[in-house]
Amino acid sequence: MMEKSFNLLHIIQHRRDGYGFALRPQHIQRYRDYANIYKEEEEERSYKWNNFIEQQAKSNHSSSSEEECREKLQAEADELREETVFERGREEDDSSDKNSDSDGSTKSYPGKEVKLSEQPEKEVQLSEQPEKEVQRSEQPEKEVKHSEQPEKEVKHSEQPEKEDDLSEEPKKEVQLSEEPQKEVQASQIQERETLLSKESDKEGQLLKETKANKVQSWSWTRPSLHVIENMMSSRVKNIKDMKYRHNTINGDHLPSIKKTGSSGGASVAEIDKELCFKETSDDNVDKSTEETNVDSKGSPESFFPWKELEFLVRGGVPKDLRGEVWQAFVGVKTRRVERYYEGLLAEETNTDESKEHNNSNAAPRKWKKQIEKDIPRTFPGHPALDERGRDSLRRVLVAYARHNPSVGYCQAMNFFAGLLLLLMPEENAFWTLVGILDDYFDGYYTEEMIESQVAWISGPWFLSIFINMLPWESVLRVWDVLLFEGNRVMLFQTALALMELYGPALVTTKDAGDAITLLQSLAGSTFDSSQLVLTACIGYLAVTEARLLQLREKHRPAVLVVVEERSKGGRVWKGSKGLASKLYSFKHDTGSLVEEKKVSEGDKSLLESHSSNLDDLLSGLSVDPEVDSLPDLQEQVVWLKVELCRLMEEKRSAILRAEELETALMEMVQQDNRRQLSAKVEQLEQEVADLRQALANKKEQEAAMLKVLIRVEQEQKITEEARIGAEQDAAAQRYAVNVFQEKYEKAVASLAQMEQRVVMAESMLEATVQYQSGKAKALSSPRSVSSSVGSPRRRIGLFGLGWRDRNKDKDKPTNDDTGTS
Amino acid sequence: MGCSSSLPDRSTGRLGGLNNSESGGVADAKNLRVKLVLLGDSGVGKSCIVLRFVRGQFDPTSKVTIGASFLSQTIALQDSTTVKFEIWDTAGQERYAALAPLYYRGAAVAVIVYDITSPETFNKAQYWVKELQKHGSPDIVMALVGNKADLQEKREVPTQDGIDYAEKNGMFFMETSAKTADNINQLFEEIAKRLPRPSST
Repeated sequence: MMEKSFNLLHIIQHRRDGYGFALRPQHIQRYRDYANIYKEEEEERSYKWNNFIEQQAKSNHSSSSEEECREKLQAEADELREETVFERGREEDDSSDKNSDSDGSTKSYPGKEVKLSEQPEKEVQLSEQPEKEVQRSEQPEKEVKHSEQPEKEVKHSEQPEKEDDLSEEPKKEVQLSEEPQKEVQASQIQERETLLSKESDKEGQLLKETKANKVQSWSWTRPSLHVIENMMSSRVKNIKDMKYRHNTINGDHLPSIKKTGSSGGASVAEIDKELCFKETSDDNVDKSTEETNVDSKGSPESFFPWKELEFLVRGGVPKDLRGEVWQAFVGVKTRRVERYYEGLLAEETNTDESKEHNNSNAAPRKWKKQIEKDIPRTFPGHPALDERGRDSLRRVLVAYARHNPSVGYCQAMNFFAGLLLLLMPEENAFWTLVGILDDYFDGYYTEEMIESQVAWISGPWFLSIFINMLPWESVLRVWDVLLFEGNRVMLFQTALALMELYGPALVTTKDAGDAITLLQSLAGSTFDSSQLVLTACIGYLAVTEARLLQLREKHRPAVLVVVEERSKGGRVWKGSKGLASKLYSFKHDTGSLVEEKKVSEGDKSLLESHSSNLDDLLSGLSVDPEVDSLPDLQEQVVWLKVELCRLMEEKRSAILRAEELETALMEMVQQDNRRQLSAKVEQLEQEVADLRQALANKKEQEAAMLKVLIRVEQEQKITEEARIGAEQDAAAQRYAVNVFQEKYEKAVASLAQMEQRVVMAESMLEATVQYQSGKAKALSSPRSVSSSVGSPRRRIGLFGLGWRDRNKDKDKPTNDDTGTS
Repeated sequence: MGCSSSLPDRSTGRLGGLNNSESGGVADAKNLRVKLVLLGDSGVGKSCIVLRFVRGQFDPTSKVTIGASFLSQTIALQDSTTVKFEIWDTAGQERYAALAPLYYRGAAVAVIVYDITSPETFNKAQYWVKELQKHGSPDIVMALVGNKADLQEKREVPTQDGIDYAEKNGMFFMETSAKTADNINQLFEEIAKRLPRPSST
């Protein structure tokens, strides 16, 4: 039912962030910018957490089973205790008449009943000690024979049997397997509740109402988170032990739970006291064993990878796991006292009835009124805070106010409770709130607000644990770390981180007002949650709980004095300042002190009127043993400022050194690179040169080749030319040959002509000769014979010297001719 | 007693601290800087008055103020001086009264607010007036403001009561409504007029 309303969260409205919270208009854009980053971060961290949890579930299987054993024992012890209380009540019945009605208390005083059953819870830790011790003494053994788990368990579950002869209850439990342990517990709760609701008809209705819530609420933590839960529980136990011891030493009341009963009547209170003393004596007996326990307690924790978890937490808790993880961190399971919450709520009906005639109700009524005023002003408009959500919120706040009347209700709790209700069921939210306010912020929200007198601007930051001061993602991340660490260190770390982030910007402002305005708006826009958280956690490791404790102890008296004096009438507050200045001037100038004293004489009359007030006040003030010195608030502020400055300076110098180193490293790296590069360049250049050389060579070769080629070509050309020339010559010669041939032929032809002519001429000559011989025969025959004898000889000569002869002959004939003609 | 008594000594006694602007931070004659603190019971509308004055907005579902919040706003007066208000809006719950001195110390102006529909808040306002008379700066300008004047039909504190009380204690009185913006700016203008001017001192 409630779940349903909270599921509305997923309906993200226009101007609301992923958690359903309103966004300032000026931040909408930035939120959108970061929404994707958040989403990525979320994915990454859920992956990491899953791994971690799985790993833990595996590796710590053996130890977790052991833890479960312990749980079982505790559950048994619870029941046992209840029985013993009732027995004790009976015993007391015998001894004193005052307690006569304690048996029937359930009917007549429902409130008291609740108390009685709580009472034992305190005892649980104490009387459990021996049991635990046994367990622990067995641990070495266990480690040796790791494989024999079943046996071990048997041994454990047998222990109660051996140890208690008081009741059979444990035996019943032993039979139950340890797996459904949770459900068993839950069902037992129910059983008991039904039993009780039968017993007390008055509160029946309310119980049923809340029971419905509880059925869902106590089957919550997934088994994988057990490991974390158990670790944290042991822390819570430690704190409780310490507190308890402290209380016994002081002879003070038990923690405030008891005080809630004040309205129940005087007899109840007295029972309380008696029980308390009983326990004190028990405690004293146990103390020696307890001391050893504290040491041995470290052993299971040492197996646990705190560092890894721390790292994960700094990275943020995944949305889906956040509710459960926070509960585990705060140790809700260990803190929880059954039916206590319902009991507180049930008181309502009672007190309403007796409202008129009881003065002690004045404060609760005041709170109630304030709560009513503030509920609609808590995350106004958030989808989960509808009518039902507001009712839950109201119940949680009222229950807390009743649980711890010394704190009651203080504005800011409404935001815490509201936030927790968004993440977990109602009763879980209540116990988580109890854890946060009672342990983590003990003293912060009390009437005097001694712890929270910080400074103007960091005051609101601290008081609201950054809710409404930072964007939600950042708030949740800061809370993750804060709840994990279990102390207030993260507040200071975050504040310092914010100052570091925005310090440079703040320096530029003109005056303090601007600076504050700027710081507020810058803080409101710190959307980079990872940066913030890591700066806070890692940047300010020097801020530790021990250191803060030291400072706190140192300055508490001063604050107390101021608070006291302020509550006195008159000008005493200023008087205190006068005191400081006196101290101051005493150091520097004794003369002014005398002067001041004179002045103060004049003021005496004024002060005397306040002396009566002073007495009232002293008696009315909660006596704090630490009020021993009277330093001044301003000195404290100055000192804190100096301290802050010193821390910031340290931080800054560290950062500067880191930066220097980084730059140096970078330079070295760069130089290194350069050297390498230059070497490479050189090499390359060498190569290039080589290549160039080679290229040149090649070119030369090429040129040479080219030359050769050209020469060859030229030669070729020359030869070609020569060839052509030769051809031409040949042609010319051939032509000449032809010409000669022709000439020869002509000559031959002309020779043949000539020969014919010669022949003709000879024949003519012969003819002539013959003619002449014929004539000479006729005249002288001898001559004709001689000429005939000479002619063969002439013939032979004709062939060799024929042409000349012929030419001679020609001449001759012509001569002859001429001669003859 | 003699040990813890002396007159407030401002000249020698100041040890730095966070409030350097002791007298409300006066810059110069023309540009005043004033520290103003709002006091009053829870839920009377202190934050709403400031938001109305500084941002001109009214959110009926405003959220609880934790510790205190800071805002500043500058206004110009007719005589061409500007006044910058550095406003500390304190948390109303009685619990936080313990922190109030951090904020009203050194304030030049205190605005004490009550809700005209609730006599209880008027009583609380008177408590604050007394507290400031005891612990505040001696020359502090105090204003008594009855807020939620728009809820006339639910009025339970008569206007005259406010006027009378204010007169008796040397304060000035005004009824305002952050919801309707009635008298809000006038309130701060009136305050500005009443500030001691550096030229006069």
